Amino acid sequence: MARKDLLDIASLQREEIELLLDQSTAFKQLLTSSGKKVPVLEGKSVLMLFYEPSTRTHSSFEVAAKRLSAEVTNFNVAHSSITKGESVRETIETLQAMRTDYIIVRHGRSGLPGMIARLTKASVINAGDGAHEHPTQALLDAFTIKEKFADPRGKRVLIIGDILHSRVARSTSTLLQKLGVEVAYLGPGSLVPKYGPATIRRFTNYDEAMAWGPDFVYLLRVQMERQDVQFFPSLREYHRIYGITNTRLEDIRQRGLYIMHPGPVNRGVELCDAVMDYERSLINNQAENGIAVRMAVLNWLTPGGDLPKREPAYASRSGAAPALVMP
Amino acid sequence: MILLQNTRIASENSPVLVEGDVLIVEGVIQQIGPGLAVPEGARVIDARGRILMPAMFDAHVHFRAPGFENKETITTGSEAAINGGVTGVVMMPNTRPAIDSSAVVSTVLESAKRKSRIPVYTSGCVTKDREGKELAEIDGMRLLGVTMLTDDGDTTGDPAVLLRAMQYATEFGMFFASHCEVPELAGPRAINEGVMSYRLGIKGSPACAEEIIIDRDIRLARAAGAHVHIQHVSSKMGMETIKWWKSRGDVKVTAEVAPHHLLFTEEHIGDYDTNYKMNPPLRTQADCDALLEGLKEGVFDLIATDHAPHTPFEKAQDFISAPNGITGLETALVSLYHFFVRPEKFGWDLVVKRYSAEPRRLMGLPVPTIEVGQPAECLLFDTEAETTFTKEFMKSKSQNTPFINQTLQGRVDVVILGTEILLEREATVAVG
Ligand SMILES: [Zn+2]
Repeated sequence: MARKDLLDIASLQREEIELLLDQSTAFKQLLTSSGKKVPVLEGKSVLMLFYEPSTRTHSSFEVAAKRLSAEVTNFNVAHSSITKGESVRETIETLQAMRTDYIIVRHGRSGLPGMIARLTKASVINAGDGAHEHPTQALLDAFTIKEKFADPRGKRVLIIGDILHSRVARSTSTLLQKLGVEVAYLGPGSLVPKYGPATIRRFTNYDEAMAWGPDFVYLLRVQMERQDVQFFPSLREYHRIYGITNTRLEDIRQRGLYIMHPGPVNRGVELCDAVMDYERSLINNQAENGIAVRMAVLNWLTPGGDLPKREPAYASRSGAAPALVMP
Repeated sequence: MILLQNTRIASENSPVLVEGDVLIVEGVIQQIGPGLAVPEGARVIDARGRILMPAMFDAHVHFRAPGFENKETITTGSEAAINGGVTGVVMMPNTRPAIDSSAVVSTVLESAKRKSRIPVYTSGCVTKDREGKELAEIDGMRLLGVTMLTDDGDTTGDPAVLLRAMQYATEFGMFFASHCEVPELAGPRAINEGVMSYRLGIKGSPACAEEIIIDRDIRLARAAGAHVHIQHVSSKMGMETIKWWKSRGDVKVTAEVAPHHLLFTEEHIGDYDTNYKMNPPLRTQADCDALLEGLKEGVFDLIATDHAPHTPFEKAQDFISAPNGITGLETALVSLYHFFVRPEKFGWDLVVKRYSAEPRRLMGLPVPTIEVGQPAECLLFDTEAETTFTKEFMKSKSQNTPFINQTLQGRVDVVILGTEILLEREATVAVG
């Protein structure tokens, strides 16, 4: 099945994920062996629409697109997360004239890439939308885990930090679960919503979470800019209760656990400096794998075709509201 | 003279429909009975298969005038009402300027007289410009007929201000309608805090944000000896809070529920569909079930739509940017029939009581009935026909409803107010 857009992990089939991860392996081999361009997207144009600043994801996508010989354009948008849907619509309508094939969009508003996808025939890739999803991050995380365990079924991943606001947590946990990986959340009660998926265990105590026996410890970035609303009293306190301190790193080393982090790292908050030299830290592998995974995604999507239509939820229930049987 | 032949008559007092002809002379019901003779010059409507009932009354609508006439006007709003079988409405005061003084009230009512074919009433603000600080011009508005005070769209934040307003205005026979929401808990997003807010990554509004104010405002009303009317309740615990206070019997509380809170859940939002974005937000199936029980038990005195038009352009934004609210006047009666009366979840008597009689009682207005000597204010409802809510069908300026382009069973065919036939879906009228 050809897909126009990659907006989320939730709607991906397991087979699609397997295919993408296999193709990522091929692209990574290609990269490491030759480091050359491939003409897969020759003559195609890729538009980068980043409403939130992100050097890491932005350059990873840009390198991926260029390695596939695509022409990359950066649309200059104000680096403001409050840019509303209204002005984005106008931008997209203007951009239609440019006949771009792929649009890579990051925005502070959840659901906004989906809105763009319904407005354009270009393939839209969600590079992070609000607290909703970040599908390529999830794919690169899964790819990195599969490099350690070719069959990750039954492995355990403990995601630590601000689950409430984290699109990484949502996408990565959804994808890992589709691959048969067990996922648990750990964080302050104010940042780990109790109404999250029932299939994900929820811890607020570090020692209890470690007793669960994770194979990977996945640290989320603490969003410093969110500190206008207090979800925990101080960064120092956060580090002490949920961070990887020197003592905890020693324990992790003895248990032989892998450490992951989507970057960029707040040193002294999520983790102590020593983690960066820890032999089972996969933080750099994640960054490197991002390019191969994004090449695979660009190669996989098919621009053009019909615009995705939104079936009204009301209609999809065969004319009846839930639990109200049609006479 | 209008003669309705072979109709079945619904009333709030009985689930049984009474068959017969109804003769209306000079806007007054003059005869009811089987096989009435056709008077000379009468317009005869063959109402076989159709149900005759008092016309509906909606105590919670937003007609957006003054200030937002791009969304709705008094003309388009009242025509939408007629299209849905509604012959009287109460407008909310969150306009620009807000309806908070005798000057604005008289402007609005004057224009309603000219621009509407049905009576249009307005509520007035509790506080100036709905800011929650200074009391609005309460008695000035009362002199023009305003009885309902509300800062709808928002809660009157400061309980001391609301208490003072209640102590003051109760003296004049006015009552308070409360939009219940703690803003600090709710945030601006209008989605229930729960499974969907997590999945979509949007800050949710917990049901307790609503329940706290329901309880707070009833307590304030009790302290002030005031009558408080709780608007558009969306949660099970909110319903139970009202039920508990009503059972005590030491404070005057009434409450309303909107059809969309009975019909839809947060799950319907699906892929960020803004036609399901409203405030208070859609909650869970358990809430819907509880609200339906509350309606049947009479915890909710009335059904009101919170008709809230927005332009397609505004609703076509991303979920967070899009404004709250859906239109309801044109879909309410048909959807109540389709989803509740037809599958026998409740009868026509409940519809008439809760959507026609009680809202008028709340407003202190005469209640139309289909009885000899009563003024004609009624509608004919065809249970066999269907309604498809296309853009062409809708008279409202905005079509922000989940029912857009959907077909439901049932159709409002004829609406009569006094001597006038306000709506006649098909040419069914012949001259006798
Ligand atoms: Zn309201």
